[in-house]
Amino acid sequence: MNRTVLFVGFFIAVAVIGVLFVGLGKDPQVIDSPLIGHAAPPFALKAVGSGETINLAQFRGRPVVLNFWATWCGPCYEEHPTLVANARQMQPSVQFLGVVFQDTEDQIQKFLNERGNAYPTVIDDAGKTAIAYGVGGVPETFFLDKNGTIVAKFAGPLNTETLQSYLQKAMKQ
Amino acid sequence: MIAAILLLLVTTGAPDASMSVGPPQGRPMSGAALDTRTVEVASLIRCPVCQGMSIADSPSEMAVNMKHQVRALLERGYTQDQILDYFERSYGQFVLLKPRFQGVNALVWLLPLVALAIGAAIVVAKAKRLQKPSDPATQRPSDPYLDQVRNLVSGGKP
Repeated sequence: MNRTVLFVGFFIAVAVIGVLFVGLGKDPQVIDSPLIGHAAPPFALKAVGSGETINLAQFRGRPVVLNFWATWCGPCYEEHPTLVANARQMQPSVQFLGVVFQDTEDQIQKFLNERGNAYPTVIDDAGKTAIAYGVGGVPETFFLDKNGTIVAKFAGPLNTETLQSYLQKAMKQ
Repeated sequence: MIAAILLLLVTTGAPDASMSVGPPQGRPMSGAALDTRTVEVASLIRCPVCQGMSIADSPSEMAVNMKHQVRALLERGYTQDQILDYFERSYGQFVLLKPRFQGVNALVWLLPLVALAIGAAIVVAKAKRLQKPSDPATQRPSDPYLDQVRNLVSGGKP
């Protein structure tokens, strides 16, 4: 009986350690999205400011940095200067596009006027586009290659180093 | 090229469910039946910004948006399976409150049964061991005095 108890205890301990090892070894900001490797869900949404319709498909032929954000999101304030600086440096060979959900156009415009506006930002009414992309919390950024395929997803505020490493991945395709 | 142009012309607004799960396979719903079914299906979908809550129970804006999406899809005639599939394609299996019986997730269903079977086997083995007559080798050695006492107690001759 003692041997059985020892065996069962050992089995449970190994299972718990295995689960912890796998779980704790992962970077929580790197999310395994089922969309990676698949075509980005197409959308055509209204741009903040100009009011023109921006279609994701119009950027086909160059990598796209698709950033979901909102003005009520603290980390988005932290990340915005990085996105603006990189967009100014890399556009038009790389397209940056902001998608804002659960927000108002006035708030977004105020945010962009105060903190820089280097690329188009569209409004996702009712969060349908965010849902199609499996967005949980903002900011979340998708990296699309020139064919419109999602190659990576990053959750949390980006810094230049991270952004560039993901972009390299998108540009390799 | 033609496909790209068509996509440019056809796509207006947010991504449509038909692009990932095809056309509706059920009947369009409305009225009280739609309300009830919306809650039923929404209770199967995890709110991605909450702790273990379904989008039917969560008051968060994200959950409310997702619930509206469920309602709109039911209204158009999408079935429960199609709707769960749609959300799973965006969020992964994490979004399903009831994991599917496949791959590693099958362990969630199988492990309790395996544990139950192991427990039952241990109980049966233990019970059998208790019922088994004791080994003669382990019996107490014969004692003439005790034998005599036993005979007296059972009414035998000394």
